[in-house]
Amino acid sequence: MARAGGITNAVNVGIAVQADWENREFISHISLNVRRLFDFLVQFEATTKSKLASLNEKLDLLEHRLELLEVQVGTASANPALFNT
Amino acid sequence: MAVPVEEAIAALSTFSLEDEQPEIQGPAIWVSAEPGATNSPIEYSDVSAYRLSLSEDTKALNQLNTLIQEGKEMGSVLYTYRSCVKALPQLPESMKHSQADLYMETYQVLDLEMSRLREIQRWQSSAASKLAADMQRFSRPERRINGPSITHLWSMLKLLDILVQLDHLKNAKASIPNDFSWYKRTFTQVSVQWQDVDTMREELDDLQIFLSTRWAILLNLHVEMFRVNNVEDILQVLIVFAVESLELDFALLFPERHILLRVLPVLVVLATSSEKDSESLYKRVKINRLINIFKNDPVIPAFPDLHLSPAAILKELSSYFQKFSSQTRLLTLPAPHELPLKEAQEYPRQYLIVNHIGAIRAEHDDFSIRFASSVNQLLLLKSTESADAEWCKEVKGNVYDMVVEGFQLLSRWTARIWEQCAWKFSRPCKDAVSLEANEPLGSCSDYEKVVRYNYSAEERKALVELVSYIKSTAAMMQRCDTLVADALWETIHAEVQDFVQNTLAIMLRTTFRKKKDLSRILSDMRTLSADWMANTSKSEPELQSLQPGGEESKGNFFYPRPVAPTAAQVHCLQFLIYEVVSGGNLRKPGGLFGNSGSEIPVNDMKQLETFFYKLSFFLHMLDYTATLVTLSDLGFLWFREFYLESSRVIQFPIECSLPWMLVDHVLESHNAGLLERVLMPLDIYNDSAQQALVVLKQRFLYDEIEAEVDHCFDIFVSKLCESIFTYYKSWAASELLDPSFLFTLDNGENFSIQPMRFTTLLKMTRVKLLGRTVDLRSLITERLNKVFRENLEFLFDRFESQDLCAIVELEKLLDVLKHAHELLSKDISIDSFDLMMNEMLENISLVSYSSRLASQIWSEMQNDFLPNFILCNTTQRFIRSSKVPSVPVQKPSVPYAKPNFYCGTQDLNSAHQSFARLHSGFFGMPHMFSMVKLLGSRSLPWLIRALLDHISNKISTIEPMIMGLQEALPKSIGLLPFDGGVTGCMRLIKEQLNWGKKSELKAEVLRGIKEIGSTLYWIGLLDIALRELDTTHFMQTAPWLGMIPGADGQIMQAQDGGVSPIVNLFKSATTAIVSNPICASPMSFHTMAKQAEAADLLYKANINTGSILEYALAFTSAALDKYCSKWSATPKTGFIDITTSKDFYRIYSGLQIGYVEESVQMSSPSHEVLGDSVAWGGCTIMYLLGQQLHFELFDFSYQVLNVAEVEGVSHTHKNPPSLQGWEALLEALKKARRLNNHVFSMLKARCPLEDKTACAIKQSGAPLHRIKFENTVSAFETLPQKGA
Repeated sequence: MARAGGITNAVNVGIAVQADWENREFISHISLNVRRLFDFLVQFEATTKSKLASLNEKLDLLEHRLELLEVQVGTASANPALFNT
Repeated sequence: MAVPVEEAIAALSTFSLEDEQPEIQGPAIWVSAEPGATNSPIEYSDVSAYRLSLSEDTKALNQLNTLIQEGKEMGSVLYTYRSCVKALPQLPESMKHSQADLYMETYQVLDLEMSRLREIQRWQSSAASKLAADMQRFSRPERRINGPSITHLWSMLKLLDILVQLDHLKNAKASIPNDFSWYKRTFTQVSVQWQDVDTMREELDDLQIFLSTRWAILLNLHVEMFRVNNVEDILQVLIVFAVESLELDFALLFPERHILLRVLPVLVVLATSSEKDSESLYKRVKINRLINIFKNDPVIPAFPDLHLSPAAILKELSSYFQKFSSQTRLLTLPAPHELPLKEAQEYPRQYLIVNHIGAIRAEHDDFSIRFASSVNQLLLLKSTESADAEWCKEVKGNVYDMVVEGFQLLSRWTARIWEQCAWKFSRPCKDAVSLEANEPLGSCSDYEKVVRYNYSAEERKALVELVSYIKSTAAMMQRCDTLVADALWETIHAEVQDFVQNTLAIMLRTTFRKKKDLSRILSDMRTLSADWMANTSKSEPELQSLQPGGEESKGNFFYPRPVAPTAAQVHCLQFLIYEVVSGGNLRKPGGLFGNSGSEIPVNDMKQLETFFYKLSFFLHMLDYTATLVTLSDLGFLWFREFYLESSRVIQFPIECSLPWMLVDHVLESHNAGLLERVLMPLDIYNDSAQQALVVLKQRFLYDEIEAEVDHCFDIFVSKLCESIFTYYKSWAASELLDPSFLFTLDNGENFSIQPMRFTTLLKMTRVKLLGRTVDLRSLITERLNKVFRENLEFLFDRFESQDLCAIVELEKLLDVLKHAHELLSKDISIDSFDLMMNEMLENISLVSYSSRLASQIWSEMQNDFLPNFILCNTTQRFIRSSKVPSVPVQKPSVPYAKPNFYCGTQDLNSAHQSFARLHSGFFGMPHMFSMVKLLGSRSLPWLIRALLDHISNKISTIEPMIMGLQEALPKSIGLLPFDGGVTGCMRLIKEQLNWGKKSELKAEVLRGIKEIGSTLYWIGLLDIALRELDTTHFMQTAPWLGMIPGADGQIMQAQDGGVSPIVNLFKSATTAIVSNPICASPMSFHTMAKQAEAADLLYKANINTGSILEYALAFTSAALDKYCSKWSATPKTGFIDITTSKDFYRIYSGLQIGYVEESVQMSSPSHEVLGDSVAWGGCTIMYLLGQQLHFELFDFSYQVLNVAEVEGVSHTHKNPPSLQGWEALLEALKKARRLNNHVFSMLKARCPLEDKTACAIKQSGAPLHRIKFENTVSAFETLPQKGA
């Protein structure tokens, strides 16, 4: 028995563990914030996309109407005689 | 100017990121965080820092992990292996000479595939020997090294699992030996020319043995294990560990649970390969426990479409492991296909999701509420400046608990789907016919039996529901990943610190005080993980305020630090706890923690056990996103490599694909509750594509998935649009039905529709699909625009294939469509209805006045309506003459369309159709109103012009015929003598009206007159309809334009400074607003005021519209002027010429009495051909020619009637004999006279000519014949020309 659990230099290990906790606090702090930053970018992209989509929709409608108007003007100007009276 | 990270991140939240898209899709893991805790990314190299002499263990552990990684890749190679032989070309006869080349090429191709198999063979033997060596090293009783640690045990189990799976795969794949034998044949052919082939041949033989032996890998492993030393110690430990973990079922997520279930039967077989071994095993684990586990899970998922069954494995292995075959109790377990009937009925209750969906639903609802509230609490906490430490801990602890619960729920749910799948695969459906009667059972493949026909509608519904629960819960948890991360770390940190600083301290002080060895282990645990200084970052006073009371009472206080323990720390802690409990002795009897004979008190044991299992769960918590991905991964639902191979097809049609079946079910079921989940099953494709690329690493699989998704999504969008359109159409149609009528109806609910919520789907602008973002909304818009146009097109086509009476139906259907458009426009922006309507009417051009509809109406009138319809003056309706038309009208056949092109559903269609049928038999006022509404003020003038032209054409066509008739009449016709009585009169008339050869002209002229009359009457109806419309408009605009009734009933302009109220209103509003300094843009208000003025002008000009009928009569009169001289001869004497036969009224008079007589004699067939419009036509022409009085004086029938009257008076008795036989004729003549009088009075009212004729009578009494009317045809040029 008791082969296990034999930290040879317990004090040193304890000090190292303590330092490790502190270092890792810094690391996890930074990495978490980087992830938050990334999350923000992802969300930003998503909302931008939906805004662009709604803009696109409006443009589509306008385009259709413009096409119609163009055709109407085209038919009218093809018959200039109509406007001479 | 460095800004602290935290502040910078916090500043980001000031951006407003509103998103209108609802969350109805699964999670999208943007940053795929590799598992950093469950698999140590640095391969546990930091373990050595803790000086626990675990280096041997760590080395072995890493070796096993590498093998596991390699094994997984081997597994995916084997799983995705597809037979090449099928693709090999056959040489045609003409190319037989190059057979050798073909062998060479084939050999090279197959060699590549076989080299992979060879690699697997090599790998498995090395893996088996390494695993065996590892077990032997760590199971020696006199071992010198520390280990195996718990992580090590897990790695052994995992590697064993991989080997078992590989073996299973190798057994199941029939194409591999197939390909191999082909390969061998080509090798013999090719190797003839080669020199040194012996070693290659040996190698080949080896491979053949490996491939053709069932369970070759396991047998090899068995040999390796028992080569040097017995390993039963460690096998027993593994079994105990597996059994205990399975029985406890805590901290096990489903992948691990499945691993244990798969490995356990094999472990048992290996461990009981000798009599002695089995006895010692059953001493530690009662056989009933094993049997229970096997019985609880008769099928275990292994691969997406392949399952394992412990009973079957045990049975099959017993023939390979002689010693095991004595274990009769284990061998009598029934395999899934041989279950007794009673049990076979029991298991579905456990496996089928339908039986659990109620509970799952409740769990889901409950969980999502509590999770959201705990996250809200956390947000609240973060926004609070100085929070109470207790509250802080509670909130974060709560979040932690919720995440644990979420993981467990997800794990249970996903496991349910896996297990249901495995169960379904193990029990193919027997009667496929029951689902789809039209397809015979024989034709369906195995895969169809296990998937397509194996899920009932209820089961599909439950599956969709569960999939969406899993996906939405995972999405919800994934969204707050970074939000909860530090709270989780803090809680874990607190848990660990609490254990090592407080619990262990108490244990050290009490129970373990005397036991030096154990207490040393405990203090090691403290050393390697305690964070003593966690409170130093806080200032002193705060600390003191945080710890009221003494340290002694509350234990060691520590300030939570948002840092989690590393994988190595958890690994070491677990190892140490295991050491404490087992005392480092593998042979120790009993289980891990359930050891009664231990020297550790039960209480402490319990604490150690709880912490031990918590530790393993911490790892999953730390790998938050990775765990979520694993737990919500449903990609397996798509894969079907085994069935592809066994069915010998390249790919199954998408109807067999489970994800698509689910999507399709949602669309077909019309279930409002499921509809919003329709995108969830599509997420399965995302998962499977991810698996194909990342796990299986096979491009062709991804390509197949992509192709299927492309196809599916197209069908999905089109089906979705179809149902959206149908739904809105039916909604509109049911709203347009009369509500009071529906209320009294018995089956009224047939005509109401179930509300469906498409709004959420219509808002989806970013559907995530295989890494693409699809704008679903715009796709739907595009399609709906198209469908509306198609629908319009169809309606017009349909109208064109019917007669004019269908115009009411057309209007109704257009109304439904327009209303549907209106309802739909609230949710999605589609093209305006008017635009589409104009487009379909070909009416876009500014200078065209005819539209498709107007031309159709006109050609219909010209070809069918005017010749074939007859007027009934009393009902004011035209009906189709019963006579067969002389020219049959050619019409296109009625086009076919789905019910949603009419009114949506069948019921609504029949309701609307029965309404339309009321109007299909005649043409009258309702039709006129519909027509006015449909044509509008744009095309109506065009139509009127066409009709007027028609009248003038008709007049000129009948003119020569009338000339002909004139010639046939005698030169002079006198008054009828009274002495002959009615009989005499009639005889005389007959003599005079002997048309001779010209009699065939009679009918022609009558028809011409009838058409003129019909046209005029039709215009009269139009006039009524327009009048009504004008009146409505007037009522609406008059108050705005300041019109008030004057004293004499005339319209008067209100005296208000000469400005109408509307202009006044806008002007004063504008001045008021502009005077206000805040007004930003006064220009727009000025514009508005100007527009009001324009509107005023426009509407005022429209107030006094004339009458169409009067206009038409004036036009006809002008058209007649040309023929005035021919049809109404000016008497030379200047007095009325009694005997003239040239005037039009003479002709008409003759025609009239002719056809009246005919109609009496032949029981009115000719009336059915001509109707009342002849009178309208004839009388109008006479009236306009100024011959009304002449006609009334000299008309034959009128004279006959006069004679009859006189006769009737002169005879005293009632029925004078001379009149006998003439009653019917007299009655008909009277009727004709009444009709003529009606027409004349109407004409007098609408087109007063009398004044003019009256003044034209000279003082002498001699009438001046008709003065010239000032209308000329050219005056009507203002109407648009036909064809313009």
